[in-house]
Amino acid sequence: MNQVSTASVALTPERAAPGRGMRVARATLVLLGAAGLAWGAWVMVDTVRIARLPGVALWVGAAILVHDAVIAPLVFFGGVLLRRAGRRLAGTVVAVLQGAIVLGSIMTLIVVPEIVAQTQGRAPENPTVLPLDYGTNLAVFWVVIAVLGTAASAALYARASRAGRRRPL
Amino acid sequence: MYEAQRSLASPARNPRMATVIGRLLGAAFLVCFGTGLYSHFLQQPLPGMRFPTRPEFLYQFTEGTHIIAGIACFPLLLAKLYVVFPDLFAYPPVRSFVHLLERASIALFVGASLVQITIGLLNTYQWYPWPFPFRQVHFALAWVLIGSLALHIGIKLPIIARFWRKRTDYGPGTDHLTDAVPAERVAGTEAERLWGSSRSTGLTGRLIAYLDATPPAAEKVSRRGFLATVGVAVAAVVGLTAGQTFAPLDAVNAFGPRKKGVGQQGVPVNRTSKQANVTEAVIAGWVLTVTHGGVERSFTRPELERMPQTEVTLPIACVEGWSQMAAWRGVRLRDLADLVGAGADTSFKLVSLEERGSFRQTQMGPEYVRDPLTLVALELNGETLDLEHGYPARMIAPGRPGVLQTKWLSRIEAITA
Repeated sequence: MNQVSTASVALTPERAAPGRGMRVARATLVLLGAAGLAWGAWVMVDTVRIARLPGVALWVGAAILVHDAVIAPLVFFGGVLLRRAGRRLAGTVVAVLQGAIVLGSIMTLIVVPEIVAQTQGRAPENPTVLPLDYGTNLAVFWVVIAVLGTAASAALYARASRAGRRRPL
Repeated sequence: MYEAQRSLASPARNPRMATVIGRLLGAAFLVCFGTGLYSHFLQQPLPGMRFPTRPEFLYQFTEGTHIIAGIACFPLLLAKLYVVFPDLFAYPPVRSFVHLLERASIALFVGASLVQITIGLLNTYQWYPWPFPFRQVHFALAWVLIGSLALHIGIKLPIIARFWRKRTDYGPGTDHLTDAVPAERVAGTEAERLWGSSRSTGLTGRLIAYLDATPPAAEKVSRRGFLATVGVAVAAVVGLTAGQTFAPLDAVNAFGPRKKGVGQQGVPVNRTSKQANVTEAVIAGWVLTVTHGGVERSFTRPELERMPQTEVTLPIACVEGWSQMAAWRGVRLRDLADLVGAGADTSFKLVSLEERGSFRQTQMGPEYVRDPLTLVALELNGETLDLEHGYPARMIAPGRPGVLQTKWLSRIEAITA
């Protein structure tokens, strides 16, 4: 009983920040993590044919590349452009526009492969797979975002201008 | 590399935000791992494993949750990568061997996470554009991810501990991520620091001057806007797809790979009779054969129809995350087991008419065999079972994945130890 409570106190990060509990917790997690990784690697070579493994490595590498070299720079320059274009706008308006674009982009990222899959995978053989008109739905989604985003921006802009008039510089 | 880091500076990129988003993403990973493991063992039980048969919608719930949490990982993972992205340009790139290992482990973690959620998503679309088997790699990567997660938390634990709770002052030495770039460096523009004037020269100069002239984001608005965007994005990707399993959201199911009620007799199918090569010719002269030891009994469909019939309402719940409630009518499996004298602790092997497929032969533990809701189903939603749903007869049991609800059932063999 006493031991248990000592251990739980020691593992509370704040109390143990520089102390022994932190070191023990970190070592445990690192060892467990390494074990999980090793087990995953073993499961991989045990269940997947060796000839298929380069394909897995290729996909993992390509995923890093696609994110770091394509998605992240696009997001960065998109953000810069938007902030410059909106330099006369209130920060809240820029934030709303940014959020709307990000939201639409994430949904597009998920739904475009779905539209492609309607003609590519097993879906053409099975009418109950991917039965909806995802292209139209995505277009409607963008329209809804645009309308809501514009409305919210207009409201925020109006509020900011009123506040600006009350407190002239 | 300071200029790269400074250009990337954003009020949303700080260790507190990394902790907040990381907690949510970590929780989603754990949920996916737990529900995935449950589904894995249902399909490939270790010797002696037994599973709960109640509530009947248990698998519908766990697998629906698996897919919902998986799709929520898209905005969460992208947000997490956005927050920590400047760390990619840490300088010096490698400080020590341990630091190299740490960076390599994060690269693996990031790459494996992206691949895992991507192939998981595409699997729900039944599209497999990769050069490796889905199930095996998805399972192996799950262990890689959960190991990487533990490792990552272990490495970052002091930072996580410091930023776990919201505070106004996180103390000295928060030298993580871009916000910690010394104030004096941020004071002047980058062009002035490099060339002594803000006059732009060459392409790089113009680019940096352009970036310098970009107004900084307002701190509080930017952070709140970021969190709100992540929240709304999670709500949107989940809300507009979860209707494929969660009935109250059916009306707003705009992007789910399946739609409730779409399919023969109002039920979607995972594999059509054509894909399984089960034709009228294959089912001609069909009988259901039940064996136990030396005892073997065969039943025609009319014979099964004359036996006591039971009606149950059970979901078909697919590993791909969709589910559909349906009314089934047929013969209790335990009645058939009794007819061949199988005991209460007998497991059965179920064999389908289909010639190929990973689930042509499956096993069913005694907890399902003896369950009063487990049927050899002959009717679906008040009609004779459609060929797409396994005519002449299929299994339906509570709390099992759809792939184990054997269609075109042909043989039921007791497994005698």
